[in-house]
Amino acid sequence: MSRWAQSRASWLKPDFVFLAVALVIPVLDLILPGFLQIGSQMRQIFLFAILGLGLNIVTGFTGLLHLGVAAFMAIGVYAFAILSSEIYPFRFGFWGALALTPVVGALAGLLLGAPTLRLRGDYLAIVTLGFGEIVQDVLRNVETVTKGTQGINPLPYPNVFGYEFVTETYQPWYFLFLGIVVLVVALNRNIENSRLGRAFISVREDELAATCMGINTVKIKLVAFALGAALCSLAGGLWASYLGSTGEPGNYDFQVSILAVCIVIVGGMGNISGVLLGALVMIGIDSLVLVQLTRYLQQQGLSSTANVMSMPNNWKYMIFGLALVLMMRFKPEGLLPSRRVKAELHHDEPPKPADRLCPNCGYPTGTSTVCTECGATVAASS
Amino acid sequence: MLQIDRIHAGYGPIEVLKDVSLEVHEGEIVTLIGSNGAGKTTTLMCVSGLNRVRSGRIVFDGHDLQDVSADRIVHRGLAQVPEGRKIFPRLSVRENLEMGAFIRNDRDGIEEDMGRAFALFPVLKQRQTQLGGTLSGGEQQMLAIARALMSRPKMLLMDEPSMGIAPLLVVKIFDAVRELNREGMTVLLVEQNACLALKLAHRGYVLETGEIVLSDAGSALLTHPRVREAYLGEV
Repeated sequence: MSRWAQSRASWLKPDFVFLAVALVIPVLDLILPGFLQIGSQMRQIFLFAILGLGLNIVTGFTGLLHLGVAAFMAIGVYAFAILSSEIYPFRFGFWGALALTPVVGALAGLLLGAPTLRLRGDYLAIVTLGFGEIVQDVLRNVETVTKGTQGINPLPYPNVFGYEFVTETYQPWYFLFLGIVVLVVALNRNIENSRLGRAFISVREDELAATCMGINTVKIKLVAFALGAALCSLAGGLWASYLGSTGEPGNYDFQVSILAVCIVIVGGMGNISGVLLGALVMIGIDSLVLVQLTRYLQQQGLSSTANVMSMPNNWKYMIFGLALVLMMRFKPEGLLPSRRVKAELHHDEPPKPADRLCPNCGYPTGTSTVCTECGATVAASS
Repeated sequence: MLQIDRIHAGYGPIEVLKDVSLEVHEGEIVTLIGSNGAGKTTTLMCVSGLNRVRSGRIVFDGHDLQDVSADRIVHRGLAQVPEGRKIFPRLSVRENLEMGAFIRNDRDGIEEDMGRAFALFPVLKQRQTQLGGTLSGGEQQMLAIARALMSRPKMLLMDEPSMGIAPLLVVKIFDAVRELNREGMTVLLVEQNACLALKLAHRGYVLETGEIVLSDAGSALLTHPRVREAYLGEV
């Protein structure tokens, strides 16, 4: 059995834990009406999990720092809106538009990637950062198409076997989003264990060596970029349908991009389960813990909207910043690291075996006590 | 099998190769020796497509490599063992070898070649689950050679396999190259260790500041006064 298949079995477990938790939450909300009620906000976690998994293909697998995923999310939002809204001629409906949204995203990814992916490291990061700003400005200013800051609305809600989704009940949305997260995780797992995934990893590890293996590194980076953009657009399309509107272009700004980067870093770069945990932790802090805490403090009269500092949800960027600094100091490989990243960041443990040479023929014997080359017995090293 | 015909190459305004021609026949080990900065690696990079020639022709197996990209050249059957080994440090030894077979799809054939690689370098078999980056320099070089062989090339390009490696292991590696050649592999070897390289090679070329100044059989070059003086440390 190949190592790839082995690693797959041991990595799948956390995914199932997450799935079990995700299935329990709506049940809890139902049987304990006064308790937490976090199911509604969980949808944000699912959306950011998809965004994080898209970024993970680009940054985690292929090693390209991408600081503009919000732009592809925005492209997804507007693609979904234009393809589904009544005011445009396409009117694909929810499912048609949702299926086409990642295609539009992938094309946008190719369009940005083709001229820029020859750049390396920081230079590429700067281009993606700039792209994120440009997309916002374009969406704001091409008013004839995007309706500017007003946004496009209303957008159709999904309809499953005649059942119409509504804003008031979150459960159908919850399971729709969860189902798509499961599909995206399955897609990521398949990519990871495929030839393509190996090509991604080899490009991350060493581009020159990857070329020597017969891999067209520019093409592979382009594919990674397009796949990442497709998933980010998918997240955008879902987001738009859930809002029933595109919202304002400024919603898809650098803060969204950096939040996705934080999710991948905190969770564990290159590890799918890690990204899920990262989304849970980061968005959990943002839209569950801080929101609930603020509500609680307001009920107790300890905080009010008049005093900005007293509202815990205004502290979120400081908390994110602190979390990142602490992560970098104590667990730079992330909460659920990929085996490889961990190996690199903690190369002091386990210690490298001494290079013991056979006294007879000079062949390295590693930890074995018998030389594989000439059969001589090798004394145990001191 | 490989003809390099009057190539010129360089970086920016600097011309590194001035009219270099050499030839490797099927089944031969040919070595290109020379001091630092002579253009040995540049020559090899031109062959493997990682560097473009400004003029001249490189023909491999009857095909001009002029417009073939580096990754396609590997598909044509020309595998490179790059300078400084360039193994994948965070992939295991086995995964490194699997990457070497990236262009192939025949599972059984890959598994068979994996066995041959382990037979050639038994230490790799012991270390197959270990991460590439934790191997010693010599073992990494063995891995780099084995990885290049995994693409089933017609010809192997080797760039300074002795660099930074314990002398005992260098001997092992050169023995392995001799063994490969006996089985029919064609090799173009770039080396600074002229003595070892000329003993191994059927023929050799001496490169000095971008020009071929000597070429002869390996044994003949070993005794050539100019080579002895310049590269073998004799006055």
